[in-house]
Amino acid sequence: MLNLSSLVQKAQQLIDPTQGLNLSNSDKNPSKASLFQSQFRLSSSQNPLYEINAELTIPPPNATQGDRDSDRGYHYAGKLHLSEAYLCFSTTPSSFVRSANTATSSVFTGQTHGAGPSGNGFTFPLCAIRKVERLNSQSFQFALAITTWNSFLSVTGKENPPTDKKNLREQRITLHLADTRHACERFCDGLKKGLRAAVGNVGRLRKVVAECYSEHLLRPEEKKDASPPDAGLGMMFRYPGDPKKLRDRAKMRLWAEYLRDNGRNITIIRQPTFHKLIRVGLPNRLRGEIWEMTSGSIHLRLENPTLYADTLAKFAGKESLAIDEIEKDLNRSLPEYPGFQDEEGIGRLRRVLTAYSWINPDVGYCQAMNIVVAALLIYMSESQAFFLLSSLCERLVPGYYSTTMYGTLLDQKVFECLVERTMPILWEHLVKSDVQLSVVSLPWFLSLYINSMPLVFAFRVLDVFFVEGPKVLFQVGLAIMRINGEELLDAADDGTFISVLKSYFSRLDESAHPKSENPKLRAVTKFQELMVVAFKEFSQITHSTITDLRLRNKDAVLRNIESFTKRTAIRNLGPDSKLLSADEVGALYDRFYTLLYERQQRDLIIQEETRRRARDSRARAQDLFRGEGEGDHIVDKGRIALGPSTSMMDYNAFREFLASMSKWAVADTQLQAQAHTGNRKSDALLNPWGSGPEPADHEFMRRLFKSWDVGGTGELTLANVVSGLARIKGRRDIMGAMNYFFELYDDDSDGKVDREGILRISEALLFLSRRGLEGALSPSTSTPTSNGANSQGQPGTSETDLGGVSANERFLGSVSAFIRRCFEYADPDRPRTQDGQAGEEGGEEEREKAQADNSEAFAIGDDDDEDEDELDLLGPDSPPGSPKPAAKPSTTPALSTDGSARRVSRAQSEAANAALDPANPLHITLPTFRMVVLADELLEQFFESSFPTSFHIMEGLGSSAPPASSSLTTFSSINFGHRAAMPAIAPAAQGATRGLRGVLDNIVTDGMRVAAEVRKRMDEAQKELEKTALPGQKDEDDEDDADIGVEIGVRGGGAGSSTDPERRRVRSEDRDLLSGADAEAGATGSGSGSGSGREGKLVDIGPGMSDAGPSKGVVEFEG
Amino acid sequence: MEGPGNAAPKPSSSVKLVLLGEAAVGKSSLVLRFVNNDFQENKEPTIGAAFLTQKCNLPTRTIKFEIWDTAGQERFASLAPMYYRNAQAALVVYDLTKPTSLVKAKHWVAELQRQASPGIVIALVGNKLDLTNDGGADAGADAGAAGDDEGAEGEGSGDARKIPTEEAQAYAEEEGLLFFETSAKTGHNVTDVFTAIANAIPETSLKSTRGPGGAAAAVGRGADEQRVNLSGQRDNAAKEGCAC
Ligand SMILES: Nc1nc2c(ncn2[C@@H]2O[C@H](COP(=O)(O)OP(=O)(O)OP(=O)(O)O)[C@@H](O)[C@H]2O)c(=O)[nH]1
Ligand SMILES: [Mg+2]
Repeated sequence: MLNLSSLVQKAQQLIDPTQGLNLSNSDKNPSKASLFQSQFRLSSSQNPLYEINAELTIPPPNATQGDRDSDRGYHYAGKLHLSEAYLCFSTTPSSFVRSANTATSSVFTGQTHGAGPSGNGFTFPLCAIRKVERLNSQSFQFALAITTWNSFLSVTGKENPPTDKKNLREQRITLHLADTRHACERFCDGLKKGLRAAVGNVGRLRKVVAECYSEHLLRPEEKKDASPPDAGLGMMFRYPGDPKKLRDRAKMRLWAEYLRDNGRNITIIRQPTFHKLIRVGLPNRLRGEIWEMTSGSIHLRLENPTLYADTLAKFAGKESLAIDEIEKDLNRSLPEYPGFQDEEGIGRLRRVLTAYSWINPDVGYCQAMNIVVAALLIYMSESQAFFLLSSLCERLVPGYYSTTMYGTLLDQKVFECLVERTMPILWEHLVKSDVQLSVVSLPWFLSLYINSMPLVFAFRVLDVFFVEGPKVLFQVGLAIMRINGEELLDAADDGTFISVLKSYFSRLDESAHPKSENPKLRAVTKFQELMVVAFKEFSQITHSTITDLRLRNKDAVLRNIESFTKRTAIRNLGPDSKLLSADEVGALYDRFYTLLYERQQRDLIIQEETRRRARDSRARAQDLFRGEGEGDHIVDKGRIALGPSTSMMDYNAFREFLASMSKWAVADTQLQAQAHTGNRKSDALLNPWGSGPEPADHEFMRRLFKSWDVGGTGELTLANVVSGLARIKGRRDIMGAMNYFFELYDDDSDGKVDREGILRISEALLFLSRRGLEGALSPSTSTPTSNGANSQGQPGTSETDLGGVSANERFLGSVSAFIRRCFEYADPDRPRTQDGQAGEEGGEEEREKAQADNSEAFAIGDDDDEDEDELDLLGPDSPPGSPKPAAKPSTTPALSTDGSARRVSRAQSEAANAALDPANPLHITLPTFRMVVLADELLEQFFESSFPTSFHIMEGLGSSAPPASSSLTTFSSINFGHRAAMPAIAPAAQGATRGLRGVLDNIVTDGMRVAAEVRKRMDEAQKELEKTALPGQKDEDDEDDADIGVEIGVRGGGAGSSTDPERRRVRSEDRDLLSGADAEAGATGSGSGSGSGREGKLVDIGPGMSDAGPSKGVVEFEG
Repeated sequence: MEGPGNAAPKPSSSVKLVLLGEAAVGKSSLVLRFVNNDFQENKEPTIGAAFLTQKCNLPTRTIKFEIWDTAGQERFASLAPMYYRNAQAALVVYDLTKPTSLVKAKHWVAELQRQASPGIVIALVGNKLDLTNDGGADAGADAGAAGDDEGAEGEGSGDARKIPTEEAQAYAEEEGLLFFETSAKTGHNVTDVFTAIANAIPETSLKSTRGPGGAAAAVGRGADEQRVNLSGQRDNAAKEGCAC
């Protein structure tokens, strides 16, 4: 993504440099904490707090209780680590303290040769430690004897451990700490603290352990429960394979012995035998439990033993896409296994997959998970499988099942690299024959070989995989290639290639050397051979080999996915996207996802920073071994190719999105805000808007959001954003733009916008223009004097200054004119006469009432005789031939009332503020709105050009924020950014909103003058139309305008009550215009071409109505 | 692999065919029916892709189909380019009883038209005809029955058809696709689809069977770069320094 690296860099600089948080390369240079977590398979809640060199002594198996001879038993030198809730010991000489170099902390990734990544040792939850005694020792300063809860936990309350001692096997190990006295004491202090905190968790431990089959296994015969812990569907439907051939009994015996001597489940101690026993294959009933231990998922279960059940309960009955997909596959998961031909197995599978899809919606459900989970369920309980699935998706094979499957694709690339490196001849052959290796190998990895090999063998691979990690998948894959190398070299196409391997997998149980003289050699199966080749010949393939190659290929793979995803997403956007150019859609896509990604990164950084500060202030001095940057591994989240962890834009993101493209969407407060908080670099880090400008929060933006949010989800998809913008920018058609704006304010989509809406529209117009208008603005209309030759002048920009009056200032005038005209031509609300018979037919009484109600609003500035005139001409009972019969109910009342309203008495009309009086509901219709807009050239240009142009999809606003309000001094005191969220459709705001609203209120309040002026302009327009611009006319106009300019400041002045007889004709002309607009509205979408004649006419009126006056007026209000 | 150069009594050539379509529409089942004349009620979902071959005898020549059956789930879509690379034919399958599956099918058609080898022969296939009243007895004869499918919904005996023949047919014509309604379960129309495709493959593209450096491989090369192309390494490895 575009700005990722710069963002990360910035973050790195800003974060306390000594902290060394390496955000960009969390894999290359993983934090000590995450290495520690991998080493001991612990969750990300655990940090390496203390570590110390130590020697572990395990009593010999036949030691009697209380035998404390430290010279007997097994001794291991290694390191003891303490985290928040775990005490871990490992013989691998790794270190996770801050001073440790990367090599020593990642050493566990080296060759394991059966030792497994966690080496020999143990991983005890502190709550599993029952007792710690300090021993006296000659050779060591500190010797600790640790007694665990091993074997005591499954004992029910009645049985008192001491009385039952012969059945219990106390696990007691000795640890000699080998370090300075000070270090030992520090460690012991930490341990004490941890133990105290862990006491409360014994209950959880008991619960977790109760699900482990080993507890049952090690119980003496007479104490065994009738119902042993669930060891998977295999207990009911048999385990795959012939137990005799698998030598299951013998294995079970060996394991029972091992567990007796070395502790079971959570308290197990890993000795070399442990790893050997795993290599020969696990016994059926213990398999699940040992997978759980080696993968570390048991620690997840211990952390939250009820998560599985809770999740199911919490989401019971809920539906999701993932669930639909799961349902499709339930009958298609290991269908050959009897357990999955049965409701029992299907039900378990359904529940585990569903529960996981809820806790990890980023992954949801991916085909192949059904097969993997089905396999797990043969050997373990539902909740065990649930946590093991988490371990898989989050640690063992991250990204395999994500929505983009980037992990799968990446590992395929890694696998190809490894084949090339280890089998160059074969690789060359593949390239030459144009065979795509991943076509074959991808299913191996994705289904962890479960789908490729006979189940019994796949489980053997899994046994090793869980203890040694993902490198096993590669080792096995390479071994398959090596063993079949000869045959593969003969294969020249995908088909042959695949069939060679298919037949190999089907013969895994056959002898690897059938013709050998040596019976021992003959007894070796192909599978055994595979294991030997995998782990001996490819022992050089280590975890760090894989990590290295993953890192090296990661970017290329992600880029590929991103371009693919982008292409697909854009293609599937739907018809609206066609209105925008391909480049624009592409740019929108980038803008959309970059923004979501950056926001997510920012959130993480902020969280990290906040946490760091909290931590620092808490424990600066004492905690030298503090883990660094836990959670680094999630820092990449949000990048598209990693799976769209967010593809939804909420309102705040939307604001930021707009602010990246449109200057009006940048808050005015931005500069001040920065001045206040920008002193400290690190504070900028906590800025929720990152380096970008703070976006404004205006009601218009909220409306825009709501209108784009077609589904009403409160979040926008890319498709929403594209169609939203397509409607504004796509058609480049002024009618569309006006309709769009109108609809934005027509809350109930009844084709009407009420008084409140009119004011809000005006407010929005001012909001949108406050940093200047963009697009093509004709300077011709600005002042009367510029009328002549200049009138066809070049389009100006926002900065164009014409005779001291910029387009922006003129726009203020246009907006105030807009309000005036809206109220002038608004219709009173008459809800009951809306339907059916229309106003004309609906009882005289009712109409009278409605007229009375609305009277003030329309009586503004009218005098008596004028009222009479109006009545004659425009009375409700329209003259015959008037083109608006009841067939157009929505607009007809508009006209009739327009006239009839003028019938009201003067007394009422002098309630001048009435235009704002909520007791007099009124509204404008779309045709009225359009007429009013088209009556002003600047407004027209706004809708035609400025507004669509103000969205800079392609180029954006650049990194530097536009100067706050500098271009519009007149409005500098009006604070858009600061305004508190205003209820979207409040009744006429009762002075709740000052600032701009106050200005508007004033404009409207100045009703009489406003109405008069509009009317006068109409007169002028009419004159112009009829007399075709007499030379003298111009002068008059100028004078009029000048007058208005003077009068504007005079509140309530009865100006403009000219009794020009021509006005009547204007009125009727008006009406024709309106009805013309109606006709157009009626024929929605009939093409703007047909209406252009009329539009032209309306536009012609414009020039006569100079805006110089009103704009001055606004300026005066300011002062 | 038999090349065109082998002098055989009847010219034989292989055609790479890819199956695309939403999950569980019956892609694998169609292939299984075509290749083994078999049907399995619970077919495992395809992971990644499956590969099968089957010969198709035409009067004048033999076509050996190399069939790539892909996984249907949305997230596997990014793997698809790997499989339709160099394909000469594609079967885009939808489920007659699932409207969303036709939408997905249209996406695939669009993708193929833009990204696959030019001149790829695409067949649109509506599967599970056995679940409709037409029952596969005489396809398309009684598409009017689709009118009352709402009422019959949920009942086993009713017509589960959700996509009228005409609708899909019209779309197929518009896009220049072959069109069939099939049932992998009964076998209805299945062979016909493959035969029709075999017949529709232009002779010219058969001359150069795909193979090492074959012409077909070259055909798709132009579009290759933009795809999620795991083999892209071959081109990039040197530059990217995949020090293998
Ligand atoms: N009634 C009926 N069921 C079918 C037909 N074809 C397939 N099915 C069933 O539909 C389900 C899915 O079939 P598959 O062939 O696995 O579908 P797919 O398209 O390969 O699915 P993915 O591999 O997940 O993309 C199986 O349960 C089939 O039995 C058919 O023609 N009629
Ligand atoms: Mg399939």
